[in-house]
Amino acid sequence: MNFLTLAAKNLLRRRGRTLLTVLGVAIAITVLFSLLSLNSGYQKELNKEVNSLGVHILAVPKGCPYEAASLVIHGGVIPKYLTATDLDNVRSIEGIELAVPMLMHQFIRKDNKTGQDVPHIIFGIKIDEERELKPWWTVEGRYFTDNETRVMLVGRGLADKENLTVGSKIPSGPFKDFAIVGILNRTGDQDDQFHFVPLTEAQRVFNKEGKITTIAVKVRDVSQISRISAEMERIPDIQVVTMTQIMGTIMNLAGSARSLLLTVIAIALIISAFGIINTLLMSVNERTREFGVMKAIGASGLDIGKMVLAETVFITFSGGVIGTIAAVVGSRVIEGFVRGMLPYSPRGTMVSLSPELIGFALVFSIALGIVCGIYPAFKSSRLTPMEAIRSGLE
Amino acid sequence: MSGIIVAENLCKVYRRGREEISALKNVNFQVDEGEFVSIIGPSGSGKTALLNVLGCLDTPTSGTLRLNGTETSGMKESELVRLRRQNIGFVFQQFYLMPTLTARENIELPLLFSRKTDNKKRIDEVLQMVGLSDRGDHLPGQLSGGEMQRVAIGRALINDPKIILADEPTGNLDSVTSGKIYELFRKLNDQGRTLVVVTHNLELARQAHKMYTLRDGRIAGCEEMDY
Repeated sequence: MNFLTLAAKNLLRRRGRTLLTVLGVAIAITVLFSLLSLNSGYQKELNKEVNSLGVHILAVPKGCPYEAASLVIHGGVIPKYLTATDLDNVRSIEGIELAVPMLMHQFIRKDNKTGQDVPHIIFGIKIDEERELKPWWTVEGRYFTDNETRVMLVGRGLADKENLTVGSKIPSGPFKDFAIVGILNRTGDQDDQFHFVPLTEAQRVFNKEGKITTIAVKVRDVSQISRISAEMERIPDIQVVTMTQIMGTIMNLAGSARSLLLTVIAIALIISAFGIINTLLMSVNERTREFGVMKAIGASGLDIGKMVLAETVFITFSGGVIGTIAAVVGSRVIEGFVRGMLPYSPRGTMVSLSPELIGFALVFSIALGIVCGIYPAFKSSRLTPMEAIRSGLE
Repeated sequence: MSGIIVAENLCKVYRRGREEISALKNVNFQVDEGEFVSIIGPSGSGKTALLNVLGCLDTPTSGTLRLNGTETSGMKESELVRLRRQNIGFVFQQFYLMPTLTARENIELPLLFSRKTDNKKRIDEVLQMVGLSDRGDHLPGQLSGGEMQRVAIGRALINDPKIILADEPTGNLDSVTSGKIYELFRKLNDQGRTLVVVTHNLELARQAHKMYTLRDGRIAGCEEMDY
């Protein structure tokens, strides 16, 4: 027998109370662990998502640039347009390697499986320039050429979801009877869910001849980004957003939401800590006589204090282990909850679990136990044996 | 014979609010090594107060106490803990066993506090000494009153103390079981241990070498028994 087994056996005497306290700690640790794992995963995924665009600067029509940039990343309708003149003006700026025009549009078509109307995103693109921008693209089937009509590429995720195969035709909607000439192999980003057609075809279908929604710019030297974006801003109609700005803004917004969440968690942890202290003090008071007897049979104040502290750490460490397991197992649920609270969430998984983080959660739970146990341990260790035995008898 | 417990002019005053209660009044008391002493007296006579002071569970308001040659006045709590561990085993009327620990673990508990490890043999010896070799793995709730008191006596013996102090050890037991507990006390005394037992039971008290009577916090008499 040692102090730990003695503490564990003492806790088992009050199973219900111990279990509830452990659960309280577990919930607090689950939330803490989830937030920390989300924090590191969020930035990683956001970086990945922005980099997958393959661009350094986006030129969008004047309006809210961040909203527009976010729409470009996730898909959506930008209600304003740029023109071929704007594109030429951008291309004339020194230091630009690529300036790729895109027309992004939303359209509705029936889902092949469910028959329900589902909104979809389509990109009108210049295929060669787009491939230069995204050299990681590979295709099952073939790419279309810019001059072809009624041809389409689809992302792998979309193809799998709707049973689209190379050679099949789009059955309904504004792109009815467009032939799928190729399916993009999985990229792991938003392109997996999109339709792509030649730019002129998109302009024709939506009656937007000569109009584009975005110019994606890749620069030769990233140190020139600020100079080039400053020159681009001089072009009327154009608003410029650099990827650094997008990320910075999103991280700021997400940072505010996270601060709020952290405050809530801090409060939850404080309440949990007081709960633990209260439970322990109750337990210490109930066992005053027992501690007196222990002193009579040779325990020192330090021994009693150590036992109470061991009990506390036992509670919080068990809570820490359960909380961490719950956070790992339930990370999807927690991610879903947090997505609802953040102003912008990347598409990939945001929970990043690392051994360091698991270690931190467990060490934190032990530290919580020590902090909560100090007062009850001190109080119990100060009792003189006779006081303790007598108070227990009254 | 030398006095293993020597108390001189012991006074103990308890305060309850403004009221002062003198539990012990100038008690002079000596127990020699290897002696078996009973203390009797009516309720409130100061028996338990005396036992607690003798066992260093409580400090006297005035007077001196020497235990196994060591003067206890002015000792710090940590020194008293060491003195108790090395010299004294306690037995209480209500047994005070830890309900979640088995008989064996209850007996082992003082060894945990004394930082003594690898004690299996010693615990087996003690279990045998108190006649509970086959009941070691039972929880207190599964034992009879007599068996629980035997566990408590085993717990008092595990550190091999020179002195056993027992406060009404048969107060919760029937007469047959009480008799058996006293047999065990006499056996322990035969092995050379000093015993001081507070009791209400005159018949059992007469089984000691000496019987002290306490009344109103004073020693009212001392009778040598035919041991």
